[in-house]
Amino acid sequence: MPEHDEATVDDLNAPAPDFDVRAFARTAAGSHRDELDLTAYVDAPLTAGTLRSLAYLRDIERATMSHLRGILVTATHKDARVTAFLTTWAFEKFWIADALDAIIEAHNEGETVPETVIRTHGERTIRESIVANIIGVPMTAVHMAMGTVDEWLMQAAYARIAELEPQEELVRTLENIISVKARQLLFFEAQARYRLLHSSRARSLTRRRLRTTPWPIGAKAQPKSETDFFYSELFRTSPETVAMLDSRVDTLPGQADLRLIRKATS
Amino acid sequence: MAFDIDRYTATSVGVQWQDLDFEDFKTNPLPEGTLRSLRYMADVEYHTVCYLRDMLVTPSHKDADVSAFMTMWNREEFWHGEALASVLAAHGITVDFDELKSTRLKIGWKDRLDPIKQSLLGNIVGADFIAVHMIWGAANEWSAIAAYNRLADMENHPVLAELLRRIAKQEARHVAFYASQARERLARSKKARVFARFALSKFWGPVGSGVMEEPEVFHVMTHLMGGADGRKEARKIDEHIARMPGLQGLKIVETALKTRGIAA
Repeated sequence: MPEHDEATVDDLNAPAPDFDVRAFARTAAGSHRDELDLTAYVDAPLTAGTLRSLAYLRDIERATMSHLRGILVTATHKDARVTAFLTTWAFEKFWIADALDAIIEAHNEGETVPETVIRTHGERTIRESIVANIIGVPMTAVHMAMGTVDEWLMQAAYARIAELEPQEELVRTLENIISVKARQLLFFEAQARYRLLHSSRARSLTRRRLRTTPWPIGAKAQPKSETDFFYSELFRTSPETVAMLDSRVDTLPGQADLRLIRKATS
Repeated sequence: MAFDIDRYTATSVGVQWQDLDFEDFKTNPLPEGTLRSLRYMADVEYHTVCYLRDMLVTPSHKDADVSAFMTMWNREEFWHGEALASVLAAHGITVDFDELKSTRLKIGWKDRLDPIKQSLLGNIVGADFIAVHMIWGAANEWSAIAAYNRLADMENHPVLAELLRRIAKQEARHVAFYASQARERLARSKKARVFARFALSKFWGPVGSGVMEEPEVFHVMTHLMGGADGRKEARKIDEHIARMPGLQGLKIVETALKTRGIAA
């Protein structure tokens, strides 16, 4: 395969050929409410620490529209296969957040939970839009790689919560969420590997961007105390998970030795 | 009546067509002009994500209700695209993602600047700009409903008519959201009213114009909004808009028809 430093969109219309975006859209996972047995939490309520982690993950899953905005102002929005995927991805994330919300609410009977404030910065989006449009197509590789790393991290976070508090009903729900996310990962990862492999520019841009992104995606808009809690509770307690995640990032073309999760955890 | 966002998200589904007998198109195919309009409609539905982008660049997405609505709306419109694409497929016309991509590529540099321009404007006027997006969305959804219902009436093809009415029904829920948001936000702020009036009269164009080639826009407008009956439908859309606070007397759809020389 030739090296495409200035690859056009048309050179890149075949990433993730095995991922059927239409089938993904057709079988998207919607509301989980019917499968949740919230009464299970009456007898076996979750600890405050678990609920705090779940609330953080809910807010991160819910901030999809802010992230989508950052993606859509770049050349990535031209790729109809990618946007069809992102449409369904946003839908599934909405319902993951809703399921987490239901579990948290089951513990706050009668209490009113304050609405999450979604914070973003207009100026940053304008700068992002200008810079990203000058860069053009390789930005799609950046977005796909970011999606990949984020899925790895978030799946690991859900698995860690289940490990720390193996309450039967919670574990069942978290496994379900992980399986929804596992399918999303297939697309991001196949797209990212293909695009990174075929463009050295994409590799260096992605490397720079992965290094400067606050993980997980959306952490920037969350209170620092909650992001700190997320890492100390779920990852500082499990160095092997951190090492496993960083070694996965190492396998992405041109992204070796970034140690993103170790840095975020320390 | 206030729009119940929880109810809307809980009942949001992709439009169904698997139960409809598309085999009927083999013995009873649609005429070329109708297929051309359907192609336009399918493309526009698929391109919703581009409008979503324009919406998200302004402060609209910070509002949790707006954000929840956008997630479902974007997906429903994608399914409208898929449904119309299968009608076209039954006639041997393929709409694939790569082709949609090339349409988006053709829009070019102007389109790249748009979100920046909108973001600057949006951030300057802040929350009042959300009102503009909401009335803009309502105008587009009213247009879509009118177009689908009109095509269903004109074609009088039982399978197509049923599908188009199902789509129109979903669009009606979108209108309910946009219109209730717009009404409330316009009523609350004079700045929003002035800005909405200015934006609609100065920048609004028929759904799909700016994305689709002008001859295609002309074909669809003539096909669905031409003649006395078409003009009547166009006026109905304008009447809906004119009933909004501060938008009395606006005739943006009729003006768009006149500008293109489409006879009543």
